[in-house]
Amino acid sequence: MQNLNAIQAALANLEEDLALQLVAEAMAAGVSALELLKACQAGMVEVGARFEQQEYFVSDLMMSGEIFKQISAILEPGLKAGGAVSAGKVVIGTVKGDIHDIGKDIVVNMLKSANIDVIDLGVDVAPAKFIDALKNSGATVLGLSGLLTLAFDSMKATISALAEAGMRDTVKVMIGGGPVDATVCRVVGADDWGADAQHAVRIAKGWLEAAHV
Amino acid sequence: MSDHKLDLWKQRDARIRKALAFEPVDRVPFTFLGPAYAPRSQGMPFSTFCTDADAAVNVTLDTLDSLDDVDGINMMVAGLFPVHLTNQWLSRIDIPGRELPDGDIWQVHEEAVMSVADYDMIIDKGWPAFLDYIYPKVHKPDLLAKHNAWMQENYADTGRRYHERGYATLCSMITTIPFEALCGARSMTQFFFDCYRMPAKVKAALDVIQPFYVDLAVQVTNISGIKSCWVGGWRSASAMVSPKIWNEFVFPYFFDLITKLHAQGILCVLHFDQKWDRDLKRFLELPKGSCVFAPDGATNIRLAREVLGNHMPLLGDVPAGLLAAGSPDDVHKYVRELIRDLGPAGLIMNSGCDTPYNTPRANMDAFVAATHEYGTCAH
Repeated sequence: MQNLNAIQAALANLEEDLALQLVAEAMAAGVSALELLKACQAGMVEVGARFEQQEYFVSDLMMSGEIFKQISAILEPGLKAGGAVSAGKVVIGTVKGDIHDIGKDIVVNMLKSANIDVIDLGVDVAPAKFIDALKNSGATVLGLSGLLTLAFDSMKATISALAEAGMRDTVKVMIGGGPVDATVCRVVGADDWGADAQHAVRIAKGWLEAAHV
Repeated sequence: MSDHKLDLWKQRDARIRKALAFEPVDRVPFTFLGPAYAPRSQGMPFSTFCTDADAAVNVTLDTLDSLDDVDGINMMVAGLFPVHLTNQWLSRIDIPGRELPDGDIWQVHEEAVMSVADYDMIIDKGWPAFLDYIYPKVHKPDLLAKHNAWMQENYADTGRRYHERGYATLCSMITTIPFEALCGARSMTQFFFDCYRMPAKVKAALDVIQPFYVDLAVQVTNISGIKSCWVGGWRSASAMVSPKIWNEFVFPYFFDLITKLHAQGILCVLHFDQKWDRDLKRFLELPKGSCVFAPDGATNIRLAREVLGNHMPLLGDVPAGLLAAGSPDDVHKYVRELIRDLGPAGLIMNSGCDTPYNTPRANMDAFVAATHEYGTCAH
């Protein structure tokens, strides 16, 4: 228990070497991958809280995501064997015509740390590819990212394609990226928009939890 | 130069100078900034804009002419735009007509072209040696050569081309702090990790680079004769980095650059994208009159006025998203409220960052018209 608390704190404090060392020690001592994952997720929740309180900023989110990613890779075999259950699925990508991925990648890491399965389609993603991924995965949340204003047309086209595929009522769409705001959200026809990565996680979690009620 | 255009330039330049000095103005000045909007609005292919420097200047001037009595240009277009971007961020740029279809906008590659070991090269061999090493990785050699030749031959005289058409030139060159260049070369993600993992090495490299940025800005503004420059802040924004990183690797370098340029009589236009609210008060440490604060719509510009008062005039900040996706009424309302709350003294109307290429003409017209309608002052 003490080790788990220390791991949680090390992740929340962005102490990369310490967090990795403590995870390795705990694994060697027989602590399960699932327990370790939960401790890390608790650390990431603390990171998110500090971000919302403006104690942490984007670089801190990125660093915490990097630490979480490394630990997740170490824990992955144990988690698969243990049959861990996720909070839901999100398909995400940077829309057609835009090759920027930094903001999207931060959201991906934060979603994963919130125990959400993420199908990350990368950048310059065509509407049809989003639709295929949603159909294949059964995900009910779609995240569209874009840094350039050209992304607005692609977001609109993707949401139209979603409607044409008869999935608009079953899939919630959130958008994000540099120039995205409430006006853009309204114009492209998305359900909500995230001002930052933590905001995006809150939106997705809210939708996924509501779907499970 | 016709007397009429000469008079217009002087009148517009004086209006901008008064706004910068918080003196009464007959109307709030409007400066245009839209390197991609210009060719798109005039029907010029982006490929031409990116590869033909004369065409780029001409299309920018034609765009200024097409707007209703605007006062000038925020950043003078001179040379090949993608080459400037690569110099600034040490990143590869995909160009329409080459890597991209002609109708697409240019895009910056987010990738690490510099390794961790390269910090030692900067520290041991110096910044010019590092640039010799990194330029072949990021520049297109033919475009770089073409750009340099054009700049050599034309740059000193480019301001005159704008003035002869009646337009003031607020800035003639772009500089920034070393943090931004390394953020591009290492990729933002890796560079941010470096700031946590090897802060001493990062700082040593920044210290080696900094004097070159100061000297370059002094040299280039002397050549153009336009004694003001952009000081760009993108990934160094307060919202992007922790206070520890910002206080060690960002602000001291802005302070050093700006105070040295100010001592040379060079005005710095703080072209600051993203959100800077957290650290606005730190800019009070800079000499009064040394800077114009130019946010992109993400920083709370009203808070900026509250904190900075008459220490720094404001330039901005109609957001890119609003210009591209909003209605003319939305734009009109935003401008009206901005001038009501922040004008007329110490305010220059401008887009927040660039006017997007896909801004509808009706929104651009609403932007200019609202500035004239609500920014005109009775004396």
